[in-house]
Amino acid sequence: MHKIILAGESSILIYFGDKIDARLPKNIANFANALKTEFSELIIDLTPAYTSLLVSYDLGKTNYLKFAADVEHLLNGFDFSSVVEQSELIHIPVYYGFETGLDLERLLAEKNLTIEAFIEIHSSQEYLVHAIGFSPVFAFLAEVDSRIQVPRLATPRIKIPAGSVGIADSQTAVYPTDSSGGWNIIGRTLLDLSLNNPDNLSKFNTGDRIKFYPITRDEYIKYGGVL
Amino acid sequence: MLKPGFLSTIQDYGRMNHGIHGMSQSGVMDEHAFCWANHLLENDFNDAVLEITFGGVELEALNDMVISVCGADLNFKINGQSAPIWHSVKVNQGDVLSWTLPKHGIRAYLAVKSGFKTPVLFGSRSVNLRENIGLKLTENDILNCESSSLKLDHFVAPQYIPNYNQDIVLRLLPSYQYAEFSEAQRALFFNQSYQITNANDRTGCRLDGAPIALEQKKMISEGVSYGSVEIATNGLPIILLKDAPTIGGYPKIGTVFSLDLAKLAQKQPNTKVKFELMDIHQAQKERLKFNRFFGPD
Repeated sequence: MHKIILAGESSILIYFGDKIDARLPKNIANFANALKTEFSELIIDLTPAYTSLLVSYDLGKTNYLKFAADVEHLLNGFDFSSVVEQSELIHIPVYYGFETGLDLERLLAEKNLTIEAFIEIHSSQEYLVHAIGFSPVFAFLAEVDSRIQVPRLATPRIKIPAGSVGIADSQTAVYPTDSSGGWNIIGRTLLDLSLNNPDNLSKFNTGDRIKFYPITRDEYIKYGGVL
Repeated sequence: MLKPGFLSTIQDYGRMNHGIHGMSQSGVMDEHAFCWANHLLENDFNDAVLEITFGGVELEALNDMVISVCGADLNFKINGQSAPIWHSVKVNQGDVLSWTLPKHGIRAYLAVKSGFKTPVLFGSRSVNLRENIGLKLTENDILNCESSSLKLDHFVAPQYIPNYNQDIVLRLLPSYQYAEFSEAQRALFFNQSYQITNANDRTGCRLDGAPIALEQKKMISEGVSYGSVEIATNGLPIILLKDAPTIGGYPKIGTVFSLDLAKLAQKQPNTKVKFELMDIHQAQKERLKFNRFFGPD
């Protein structure tokens, strides 16, 4: 199933499905690569997210009808099962504690879990990058185990420290820089994901897999973590 | 930089190909005034300019050079004497350039020959404060640019200089979830005058008016285009602008034509705007004509 719609004066949006599905991010990433190869002269930007891909194109070289028809043609002939490229697995160390996990104590009470059980649930599975957005390097990861799902805060915090790991409903994410936000904070990584290191820009790509692993307070501090 | 004013940042056309990494397009808010400012100096289409919002700015020229100022009339003066805008101007070392208050429009663009040579960050010189890319200018900053001269005076013919006090109609492409809004919802949207609120910055422009009743249905976030018009949970529109996040989860009733967004960039809070429908072919024709005049196309 796919559908192409108008997005802007030089952009279209392609839908690859109508609900969140773990197969879609990799399929979309593969199709985005095919588009870049096939129409490298025409494409300006690609924004994948969950079920869709926003494509902006060079108005000086094509137009809406022609470009949409070209993309439709490529989609119809595209074999999504043919690309079996292994996605990257990225490991992220997290100190889950009350000092860094601003909402952790409340969540343990709400979910009736011990801290050990909570950490085990959050860190034992792989998550998939479904979208990058909100800010650069902010990766939306799913799907969080139902036992620790929790809605966003009613009132977002003004400042969440860089590296904070949060949960919002079925998603989890790391805040790459200090920012405002409404996710429930459960811990913090000492990895610098900010753009002070420009290589971080492409740290996460949709379709990548992420695994968190718990570190102790001592390890967190020893390797440069800030409380 | 003697006085940085309310908000002065270096901008070029923008960071066009980083959506995949969640990075905003950024770039000038008023593409029309920006393009003229560069064009008057025979600059490259994408040369970086200083975007001055509201005024309160004073600069001292450290070289002899030729400049142009286009966009808002912020009471531009050189050494205390009124100086022309939409016009190339010769400036001497030691001259003080000032912009005090908005008389017409709110954003002025100062171009220098060959553009300001600030660092290129991720393919663009545009500053995005929301993303911590580049810095807001402060007192005593030095903006590097070349000494320059121009053989002939250049100016913009009066018929191309916009009247920023005029009411504007924003032409809207029927994009994204347009078809999912009912006829009654669309009628309410197109038949009313909305008011620009104070929540109007480089990220987006929130409008006030009669809210559109929406069924609370959850949308999956998707890539948003420059000018997308989200209808927020309260039923009121937010027009997404240059520094907006790359994805969003509100339904969008359409996308405003970019050259109309250039007019919106000059509007004060509390002024009125209306929307009308525009055809994609007309939009592409108008934009292409603009690009062919100013740009590399």
